[in-house]
Amino acid sequence: MREKLLICVSAQQATAAHWRGGKIARLEEFAHDERGLGAFRDFLASYSNLPAFLMVDAVEEDYRLETLPHSWGSERAQMVTRKLKQHYRNTPFIGAWLQGREADKRRDDRYLFSALTNPDILADWLRLIGVQELPLAAVYLLPMVSVGLLEKLQVKSPNLLIAAQHSGGLRLTFFRDGQFRLSRLTRGDGSKAIDPVRLFAGEISNTRLYLHALRTATLDEHLTVLLLDRNDELQDVAAAIMHEHPALDCVRVGRAELATRLGMDQPLLASTPDALYLQLLGSKPPAGNIAPVSATVGYRRYRARRGIYVACAGVAATAMLWTGTNAWRAYGISSEATEIAQEISRQDAQYQQITRAFPPAPTNGENLKRAVEVAKAIRESSRDPIPMMALVSQALQSSPEIFLREFGWRYGMSVMDNKAGEAAAAAASPKSPPGAPPPQRVQSAYVSGEIRPFRGDYRAAIDSIHALASRLRQHPSVAEVRTTKMPLNVSPTAVLSGNTLESRAETRTAEFELVIVLKPKV
Amino acid sequence: MNREDLDALRVPLIALAITLLAAVLVVYFSVIMLDESRKSRTQRETQLRDARLRIQNAGEEKERIVQYVGRYQQLAQAGFVGEEQRINWLDSLRIANQDAQIFGVEYDIGAQKPYTYASEFDPGKLVLQESLTHLKFRLLHEEDLLRFFRALARQGGGFFTLDQCQIRRQSGKDVTAVQFQANLAAECEVRWLTINPAPATEKKK
Repeated sequence: MREKLLICVSAQQATAAHWRGGKIARLEEFAHDERGLGAFRDFLASYSNLPAFLMVDAVEEDYRLETLPHSWGSERAQMVTRKLKQHYRNTPFIGAWLQGREADKRRDDRYLFSALTNPDILADWLRLIGVQELPLAAVYLLPMVSVGLLEKLQVKSPNLLIAAQHSGGLRLTFFRDGQFRLSRLTRGDGSKAIDPVRLFAGEISNTRLYLHALRTATLDEHLTVLLLDRNDELQDVAAAIMHEHPALDCVRVGRAELATRLGMDQPLLASTPDALYLQLLGSKPPAGNIAPVSATVGYRRYRARRGIYVACAGVAATAMLWTGTNAWRAYGISSEATEIAQEISRQDAQYQQITRAFPPAPTNGENLKRAVEVAKAIRESSRDPIPMMALVSQALQSSPEIFLREFGWRYGMSVMDNKAGEAAAAAASPKSPPGAPPPQRVQSAYVSGEIRPFRGDYRAAIDSIHALASRLRQHPSVAEVRTTKMPLNVSPTAVLSGNTLESRAETRTAEFELVIVLKPKV
Repeated sequence: MNREDLDALRVPLIALAITLLAAVLVVYFSVIMLDESRKSRTQRETQLRDARLRIQNAGEEKERIVQYVGRYQQLAQAGFVGEEQRINWLDSLRIANQDAQIFGVEYDIGAQKPYTYASEFDPGKLVLQESLTHLKFRLLHEEDLLRFFRALARQGGGFFTLDQCQIRRQSGKDVTAVQFQANLAAECEVRWLTINPAPATEKKK
């Protein structure tokens, strides 16, 4: 998070910092009185929509290390909540952190319960933050923030006691194996009236006794005391402690080293004891938020809003990247297409140059060739009625009694099997199943005639017609000859009527019709 | 997430929806643009291949022109190549009638349409079209019909094929009865054909 507000609240005052670009950009202190609160309100008014991280440095704090049966999920949450309510009934600023598991058989969970036992310390400051509608991100107890020091100062000692002078008194925080165990803030303002050597030595001894009483650490155990000397004034204290307690390992970290390790300016570090912890809080928010869920609703919405806007930016960036890539590729392809077009123009120009030597022609050679070949093919495939007329004429020569009345000829896909024009429509639009080759065109003829003279001798007439059909069939180019009409229908299924008295007179006609189909490709 | 949370996040959620919509649209159009570019390039590549092939085949092209241009022009004069010339076709019918000395020809020329049997001849990029012409004659003798079509072919007013003919003896007439009187009635169907380069086909001068 690039920008945020960091606020350290103690019983006497609050120190507020504006964190921007990975460091404290502005730092101000406000006394816990009417004037100080007004100045704090003015300070907050210069910011909007920035999350506020609070840290409390007060005597009214409580830490308890407890073991609970190992559990998971909602069962664990319910058990921890129940335990917190048992311990801390009068404050909403409570929290529990799983620090590990016991080494025994039960492997119970080891919890650190902590609370700000006097929430009124925060009331005025939180009210002003609420007035400015700044989202409250978290509330920490200052010792929990100091966990970050171990990493920054790269301290490896198994038993570590960090001692530092704060605005509210001397703060001693004990870590075992790198894990926070307890912290004490001695009352007093650290004024010059008290000898710092006596103060530090006395409180360190008291803390050791307290740790011993809590069975957190015995008096025999080796202890490293880390003096945070932001004003470079505890050299004597360190020397005195080392002298009085040879079993202790006392390490003093001066202003320059602190500033270097924490990455902050020395004047800023010297300006207030809270600056060091605000820097730690800004660098890396620790575990140990004790703010109730209801107090951080605004911050959750703030994060959700930021998350959505980040998603918007991600979507937009992805779309832009994708679009940009596509546009770039399209540009490249278009450039290639343009080059190809130029090459086509060059080729065309070259071809035009070549064609100047060509004889003048109305179209290209391919079209010339196709047109000539198509014309030739059409000529070769075209037919006329002369061969069919010759065929019929030849067959009629030996049948003078047959008188021809009508002759029809067709070259098409349908056979001419009836009188003129009845099948013309079918011939004009031949149909074939989809995908199948079109049927071949064939020549066909329709012949209509009669027997003359006819005096009722149907047998002779029919014999003449059959003889004609037979002669036609004998021709090698004929595929089929069909009689579609005879002078007399002798079929048993038809009605037949007449008069034998009229048989001598030439009063009747013996008409017939034939259909002749030639073989394909004839 | 409750209703109050949703109210608090309404503006960012709307912004997200708009961003998503805009992103989809922008990407969609960019994909279309890319696709069009690819199609254009493919088309140009094909054109370039054709252009190169044309140059490679220029020698053959010249030979083809030399070989076929004369016959092509003859076909053009015969009315086969080029636009349909209906006046020439009617003139040819009239003159053929005179030459064959028949008793007049009634004609009925249909609208031009693609040739029914074009697929048999693979015209390539040329368009083969037909106008179905229905002719009615009165004849002295069936030989008149054949003389008429020979005369029509000689005129060169159009390129045609014969589809069907019917010849009927006139009722009450006898072929041996009276000279110079129509004894036969005939009807024929003729396909009058033309061929043309397709509109986009290149023309050289």
